Amino acid sequence: MMSHLVIMPLLLPLLTGILLLLLRGSATELQRLINLAATLGLVAVALLLLIQTGEGQVEVYRLGNWSAPFGIVLAADRLAAVMVLVTGLLATGVLLHGRRVGSYFHVLFQMQLFGLNGAFLTGDLFNLFVFFEVLLIASYGLLLLGGGRNRTRAGLHYVVLNLVGSTLFLFAVGSLYGVLGTLNMADMAVRLAELPESDLGVVRTAGLLLFAVFALKAALAPLHLWLPGAYGYTSAPVAAMFAIMTKVGAYSILRVYSLLFGPDSGPAAGLLDPWLIPLALLTVAAGTLGMLACRRLSQQAAYLVVVSAGTLLTAFGLGGIDAVAAGIYYLAHTTFAAAALFLLADVISRARGEHADRLVTGPDLPRGQLLAGVFLLIAIAVSGLPPLSGFIGKWLILQSSIGNPWMPWVLAVLLITSLLGVMGLARSGSQLFFDTDGWAEAGPATRLSDLAAPLVLVLLGIVLVVYAGPLYEFSRAAATQLMQPSAYVEAVLQTAEAGRIR
Amino acid sequence: MTIPLIVLIPFLGAALVAWAGHHGRLRSAFAAAGTTLGALLLLIPSIGEVMQGATLLWQFDWLAAAGLTLSFRLDGLGLLFSLMILVIGLLVILYARYYLSPNDPMGRFYAYLLLFQGSMLGVVLSENIIQLVIFWELTSISSFMLISYWHHRDDAREGARMALAITGAGGLAMLAGFILLGEIAGSYELSVILQSGDTILNHPWYVPTLVLILLGVFTKSAQFPFHFWLPHAMAAPTPVSAYLHSATMVKAGVFLLARLFPALSGSFEWTLLVGGAGLLTLLLGAYTALFKHDLKGLLAYSTISHLGLITLLFGIGTPLAAVAGVFHIMNHATFKASLFMAAGIIDHEAGSRDMRKLNGLWKYMPYTAVLAMVAAAAMAGVPLLNGFLSKEMFFAKTVNISTEGMIPWLPMFATLAGAFAVAYSLRFIHDVFFNGEPIDLPKTPHEPPRWMKVPVEVLVVICLAVGIAPAWTFGPLLATAAAATLQTDLPEYSLSIWHGVNPALIMSMVALAAGGLIYALRRPLFRWHDLTIGRIDARTFYQWLEQALFRGAEWLNDVLQRATLQRMVLVLVLASGTLAFFGLWGFGPLGGEVQLTPLDPISLLAGVILCIAALGTVLLHRQRLLALLLLSVVGLIVALSFVKFSAPDLALTQLSVEVVTIVLLLLALYFLPARTPVESSAGRRGRDLLVATAAGLGASALTWAVLTRPYESIAGFFLENSVPGGGGTNVVNVILVDFRGFDTLGEITVLAIAAIGIFALLEGLRLTAPETDSSGRRWSWDLHPVVMASFSRLLLPLALLVAIFVLLRGHNLPGGGFIAGLITAIALITQYLANGIAWTGSRMSARLNPMIGIGLLIATATGLASWVFGYPFLTSTFTYLHWPLVGKFEVASAMLFDLGVYLVVVGVTLVILLQLGHLHDVNRPHSTAGSPEEDA
Amino acid sequence: MEALIAIVIGTLTACGVYLSLRGRTFPVVLGLTLLSYAVNLFLFVMGRLTIGQPPIIRDGASYADPLPQALVLTAIVISFGMTAFVVILSLRARAEMGNDHVDGKESE
Repeated sequence: MMSHLVIMPLLLPLLTGILLLLLRGSATELQRLINLAATLGLVAVALLLLIQTGEGQVEVYRLGNWSAPFGIVLAADRLAAVMVLVTGLLATGVLLHGRRVGSYFHVLFQMQLFGLNGAFLTGDLFNLFVFFEVLLIASYGLLLLGGGRNRTRAGLHYVVLNLVGSTLFLFAVGSLYGVLGTLNMADMAVRLAELPESDLGVVRTAGLLLFAVFALKAALAPLHLWLPGAYGYTSAPVAAMFAIMTKVGAYSILRVYSLLFGPDSGPAAGLLDPWLIPLALLTVAAGTLGMLACRRLSQQAAYLVVVSAGTLLTAFGLGGIDAVAAGIYYLAHTTFAAAALFLLADVISRARGEHADRLVTGPDLPRGQLLAGVFLLIAIAVSGLPPLSGFIGKWLILQSSIGNPWMPWVLAVLLITSLLGVMGLARSGSQLFFDTDGWAEAGPATRLSDLAAPLVLVLLGIVLVVYAGPLYEFSRAAATQLMQPSAYVEAVLQTAEAGRIR
Repeated sequence: MTIPLIVLIPFLGAALVAWAGHHGRLRSAFAAAGTTLGALLLLIPSIGEVMQGATLLWQFDWLAAAGLTLSFRLDGLGLLFSLMILVIGLLVILYARYYLSPNDPMGRFYAYLLLFQGSMLGVVLSENIIQLVIFWELTSISSFMLISYWHHRDDAREGARMALAITGAGGLAMLAGFILLGEIAGSYELSVILQSGDTILNHPWYVPTLVLILLGVFTKSAQFPFHFWLPHAMAAPTPVSAYLHSATMVKAGVFLLARLFPALSGSFEWTLLVGGAGLLTLLLGAYTALFKHDLKGLLAYSTISHLGLITLLFGIGTPLAAVAGVFHIMNHATFKASLFMAAGIIDHEAGSRDMRKLNGLWKYMPYTAVLAMVAAAAMAGVPLLNGFLSKEMFFAKTVNISTEGMIPWLPMFATLAGAFAVAYSLRFIHDVFFNGEPIDLPKTPHEPPRWMKVPVEVLVVICLAVGIAPAWTFGPLLATAAAATLQTDLPEYSLSIWHGVNPALIMSMVALAAGGLIYALRRPLFRWHDLTIGRIDARTFYQWLEQALFRGAEWLNDVLQRATLQRMVLVLVLASGTLAFFGLWGFGPLGGEVQLTPLDPISLLAGVILCIAALGTVLLHRQRLLALLLLSVVGLIVALSFVKFSAPDLALTQLSVEVVTIVLLLLALYFLPARTPVESSAGRRGRDLLVATAAGLGASALTWAVLTRPYESIAGFFLENSVPGGGGTNVVNVILVDFRGFDTLGEITVLAIAAIGIFALLEGLRLTAPETDSSGRRWSWDLHPVVMASFSRLLLPLALLVAIFVLLRGHNLPGGGFIAGLITAIALITQYLANGIAWTGSRMSARLNPMIGIGLLIATATGLASWVFGYPFLTSTFTYLHWPLVGKFEVASAMLFDLGVYLVVVGVTLVILLQLGHLHDVNRPHSTAGSPEEDA
Repeated sequence: MEALIAIVIGTLTACGVYLSLRGRTFPVVLGLTLLSYAVNLFLFVMGRLTIGQPPIIRDGASYADPLPQALVLTAIVISFGMTAFVVILSLRARAEMGNDHVDGKESE
């Protein structure tokens, strides 16, 4: 009798979503409360999961009591637990941002969580596809809430592009099945180990097509062009929630390639080596370019998400326990920081009235000092300046690049771009808060409660700093577990306990 | 534990001060002073120990796994700097209380000041160099806040941004340098690094490491060519200039030179880079200072030049030079801080800092004048003042060097710099306090309030005391600090005023005389300067640079990253194509060697038709209706191919999906232009054609590659266990509802969410249908043909019966939830096509979410039921009932699951189509067109 | 037969790609539909080509690989949902942007 804990992160949002769907038409406040409660529940579940996987065992859940590779299994290791927890915390922070973005928000929000957690926990490649679709369709709905010309255009682009992406995904899964004859990732890993040379080409192609799909999700250049529009024009809470979306792509890359194409996985090993780091560094550069160019704070935040995606994938590309651990730490940091920036941009743009968050001379803000202070905090975190989590994450990544042939490039690109990032944010800050014009019309004064959401997310970042030691230790443990997939494979491929209900 | 507290207190104090600021200006001042005093008191007890040469360490494992510990170190050097920071800090706080005008928010000022103080203490007391970087960057940030304190002034904002950019850049380079250094030395702890000088010097990474670290040093200490930010930082309130930009922060760079002296110095590169930068800065600063008409400008460049002097001393690299460097750090801090404060007083009381206006202040503020003159004399290096001593040491060093034959002309340059120092000091004294009458000052100058002078007095007294009796004043502190710097026992040196007549003395005298001469010749010099070098202005240059950066970025971004859908899709296709190519190419033959299935004419024919239809869709895609019909042909043949290759379920599903999709597209077409205009140029179409063909070839190649290879799949298991395990003979269905039921759950969730999303999309959507069809005929609004209507109504119950039958048999024969659902949906849609939305709508609520929700709920609940029996989610069960009429009848929990699927499918399909139908109803041509709202 | 299938899939893909590179929403939707046909077919034949052996358990028969069939079924339904969504979205886009260009730029 196995514990049902592993599937809770999926069932909780799904059931909540259904409940909210059936509650359509009832007061939105009620829906919001249910939503928040369920999300807090998710955090609790995630913590339990973290504790249970903390010792290093892989928790496997066999759906329908069919053992892998025949049935679908969920598998929770340290990394998966971390991802679920980060998602839960992010969602909680976002929900504190009390701004109604249109009906159906809450249903779609929970469904999005269902998709995300499914993608993090599933051990089956086709099932991963299904959950990608779940979280995508939910994200389509969320992104488009509220409408408006720019938002709709960005949404259209996002949807069409991802539909092509899904097609690629199916091509990849299909050809993998066509050669390996299985869908369970652990089983695939086993079969890949004794892959005949003759089939190598097909497997490599499938693997690289998958990479294209994940790269699209992770906004890896040159497949990042959709992101600034989508994140920059959607509503703030949605953009903030999307801070985790690019991470799904990064996570999938890490999971699939550590399992299937890792260092000791037969002839197809090291499939991504020639691609990942250069493209990741390119992404960082492209994002920085955009954030220097754009004239709206939320747009700038969107480009900063691109930068962080590039940084994260640089870490994963460097490989090795240190780099991956650094990446995992940075992943948590950047998720919270980016979300905080999106939410703050929303608060600021409301305070600035018709000037919104455009980087032009605007009014003196009521509570300007407070806003400026919060902005400074978040800017420091996002741009990776000390003493906040951004610095630690970035430093860990830089340090882990030592000895790698790419080291000079990694150092140069990451450091120069962070300087440019600082300059860009400094300009925005001094434009928004310093270079003001007394006559301009300000918006309604900011209420302290408006700042709750960004501040909570900043607080999470500070926790990352204070407990950097143990958290980094855990990231290292998670990375180590990834680097030795054999335990994962064994755990997944154990046969189910005998006997079925009759 | 006290050392970290010393650092921590100012940070806590900052919060306290900010809070106190809301309850009266003076409270914040007192709070700030109190905080600083507290830190100082904490420091005092350990002074004795350190003077004995002890090094106090405190450590806490913060991120030890990665080498980042929270560790502090108090030795002579750290002590010297901490004392400077705290003592001068105290004086500055006192001074600022009188300097700031009533409408400057004092709480904020002191909060920032304390933030800086804490960061600076952190820098000088850090044992771990990564931690040092953290505090280092914090000083940059707090300095940014302080410079932009008067943030409505453009020069303040720009000066702040410039300082942040330059020093921030240096800090990042330094971080890289420290990471390398830590790797070389095997630790980030100074106590290890300072011991491993030889390892470092002989390491292949030594030069890059050194350069990166020096970038940090030079930017922070305003060394050429990074010096230009400092004069523009003078936009800050004068107390800030006195504190950060003369006494402490700009000393962080030279502090680092001293700190890492044992680890990095002693190589040719060190002497070249550090010495060279120092010398250039020394001369450049001394020269430029003379020509600045702004008091603070003069002081700023003099600061630059003195920093150059210190850097040069460390660059020379001998222990004695280092000692002199440390000594000059102390002296410069004292006289320069007092000079800035004096300048501030003058500015405050006379309302101007322009030396062309400020003249003859002697008779208005004689007392201040005296103080200023003494300090200025110290700056000039006049005997009996501290400036003289260290400068003479410096001269002596330059002579030693040249006699050792290393850099023969060094003494000359040193003297030249000395001469200019004398000249600008003379100018400071003569132009301001004598030289005729003040020229239209905003207010008549007068002495400042009593306590505003006190800080200046204290510092000037120190200058004198040190100048007269160095050994009894700075002597011991210098000894400890120098020892800590060198990490070895001290060389011989004497701190006395009189060393007899020696080259150094002569150089000093020459400098004094030459300085006088230069000042006498100032007018022609000024004219010449203004015509030539005076034109160069760092600010305009930096402005241009910043503009260029942002404008350039905008332009480049528009070129490279304009997000048009066509471009993005193209990139995606090309990217995946490239990847696939590199995956397949050069890895064995494309085809495998299983023997192929024979080709029969009917399949060939079907294939050909399919291809033609597909190509037709492309060729005719401008006539949308036609293209749509051709598309449906394609779908049809795909369905047939499913039949052919033994997949009845697929065929049924494909067919029904096909119908619904086509209906949907037809409805949509009603709202879209009937024709597609020729959009893209021939060239682009050609390119797209090429890309598309390549993609097609790729897909074919991949298909071929797989189909011609053998594989053994896990399918056998499903075939064996379908009946005994899943209780159904239709294996596909059993997989869908049992083996891989979780996929199905996810998939119906997708459907449900799609429906929700569509609801959201259609909210408040207004569309107008065309008045006429594409060829201009009036649109007809005839009633729906009666025959079809009545016929379809008869059809409905039959269709529903079929649907239920298909649903129930699904587990064993082709059918199941989807197909049944879609059949039902189609049956209902025909109603709606035949009878119109009004008739149908009155019989079916358009809001079918309950149906969808309940469907999802049933499916999920079925899964949950297995928990009751202690089995995992979605574990199925089945049994056989014997019903009187039906006989042996199988009931499987999976069927309940399938019912859920059925409900969702019906619900979703109807929702989508009926919603669209509603649009038709409400959007008859005469109905108003919607205006899309714009969002910023 | 394998060759024929390969060609068919290739053609469908090519046509799909070309149409999804067009500038108006409707052809793009057509293109996406064609692409989904292509990939469904591809996924389906990954179970290889077997004629007249539907995976419905009868005694003493051999069967086609049922798994790809199940996968394709899922894929079909998902792509149905997606198509429906994108169709409605294109209507919304037309309303918001005043025309049916994918970037909302009016070329008439």
